[in-house]
Amino acid sequence: MNIWEKMLNLDRRWIFLLIGIVCIVPFFTPLGLAILPSSEVAGIYDYMEDLGPQSAIFVGFDYEPGTDAENQPMGIAILRHAFARNIPVFITAYQPLGQGLASMAIDVLTDETSDDYFEYVYWADWAEVREQGFTARADIEAAWIAAGHSLPENCRGWVFEGRDVAFLGYLPVFALAILGMTNSIISQYPQDVAGNFVEEMPMYQDHKSLRDVDLAVTIAGSSACQSWVTYGREKIGLPVAFGVTAVMATDYYIFIQSGQIIGQMGGLRGAAEYETLLMEGGYCKVPGTAFIGMDVQSIAHIFIILLVVVGNIAFFAGGLNKKSKLKGRR
Amino acid sequence: MVGGILFIIQYFIPHQYSQTLFDYYMEWAPVIAAFALILGVGSLTRLHSHKIKRRAENWQYSYAALIPLFLMPFFALVLPESFGGGILSTMGGTRTTQGVFDFAYMNIQVPIQATMFSLLAFYIASAAFRAFRAKSALATVLLLTAVIVMLGQVPVGDLIGKWFPKIGLWILRYPNTAAKRAIALGVGFGILATQLKIIFGVERNWLGGAGE
Repeated sequence: MNIWEKMLNLDRRWIFLLIGIVCIVPFFTPLGLAILPSSEVAGIYDYMEDLGPQSAIFVGFDYEPGTDAENQPMGIAILRHAFARNIPVFITAYQPLGQGLASMAIDVLTDETSDDYFEYVYWADWAEVREQGFTARADIEAAWIAAGHSLPENCRGWVFEGRDVAFLGYLPVFALAILGMTNSIISQYPQDVAGNFVEEMPMYQDHKSLRDVDLAVTIAGSSACQSWVTYGREKIGLPVAFGVTAVMATDYYIFIQSGQIIGQMGGLRGAAEYETLLMEGGYCKVPGTAFIGMDVQSIAHIFIILLVVVGNIAFFAGGLNKKSKLKGRR
Repeated sequence: MVGGILFIIQYFIPHQYSQTLFDYYMEWAPVIAAFALILGVGSLTRLHSHKIKRRAENWQYSYAALIPLFLMPFFALVLPESFGGGILSTMGGTRTTQGVFDFAYMNIQVPIQATMFSLLAFYIASAAFRAFRAKSALATVLLLTAVIVMLGQVPVGDLIGKWFPKIGLWILRYPNTAAKRAIALGVGFGILATQLKIIFGVERNWLGGAGE
């Protein structure tokens, strides 16, 4: 066995150890490399910039914890953008575990110890404001302030449950739920996850079906996102945007080219691009986890490319391409 | 067959009667789906109970499947809130601390699933070293494309060469789109043909028969 053959028969546990080091070290020594947003991600951001309190969007947490590292920053970034612009958000989940991840995303955005957090005002907490007959976003906030509330330091604003957000949660056979919501949201979701009646919510009064909604962003780790195109975009012309894992992103460029979706966040890179746009737009002061994660991905990609190059050099320099197979442990 | 044809036609008829029919279907479909849950839980319980009874290979792991299967719904639906029961997001702020269900979900289920997916990085690195070879012209094209797209996807690619992200995006937007569209069309026609065969009873394997 020559040196090249020995190299190719390297115990794979050494490679595991090295990739582990490569993934951990950048967290402690961030590189902070600049990320240039692509037109696919900027398309979603620009579309959101044109929306406001009179609009409404759906955000689908259509993934499970397996793809949490890639998908969760996308969900957080979209919610941050919507909350900051007071765009009402209906939150749904295609899969049961997605509901918990949506809940975790809200927790991140309303965490009082973090920068740029939002103060979540539960449905029951602002009942008195509703009883005074206020339904417009600006009026609700003015009445809330008049009631003696003020924004704490580092807080970006209030999120009024029922006016700024409706956490609808998971429904089985979700493709049918999308179809049903093309006629009426409350036919599928009479109550939100906390048991509040959606029909009583001010945000529902202006947006009774998907036909009244301006955008559906599906953050997906499976082909769930296609249901939004099939039943939302194609049936009623609902604008749809995707946030998908990197391995899935290649499958969905065809939807961008055909104009069926307005944009796509692909993998951690897509989430980091959106975070960059949010920072440039002044919606947050510090980057999110995707931006930090891109340092790890940069180094990991370089390391894997080096492995491929070294592997090929060893393979050809050692004349192993002429042998039928290598010996030893694989 | 009647149901299948009916709902194909219904989709294209924007009439009140057609809509009423669809609304009925929308009410029925989740109910039918709920039975699948009963069937699934029943089947899983039976399978693992038998494994434990027969002391089949790796029977101990069946406990790991069965215990959480019943404990998680117990924590969420049965255990009183004063003992940490319930699901936090469904409580509308009446309780602000995590219950047992939320703790198990966030600290066990989420990390376990994320860890499983993360293992891919280790296996991909090992596989790239051992199997990604420029053995032929086509394999070389594949390898070069992979390297360009990988560098184009990360900010460090920008530092190495400004053209990496541009070429990487060009590959994704054009050659990739062309190939994916061809595949998507093929799959689409395949789905259409299979569904028509199922609706018209030509294909009956899904009923459990041999399809004769």
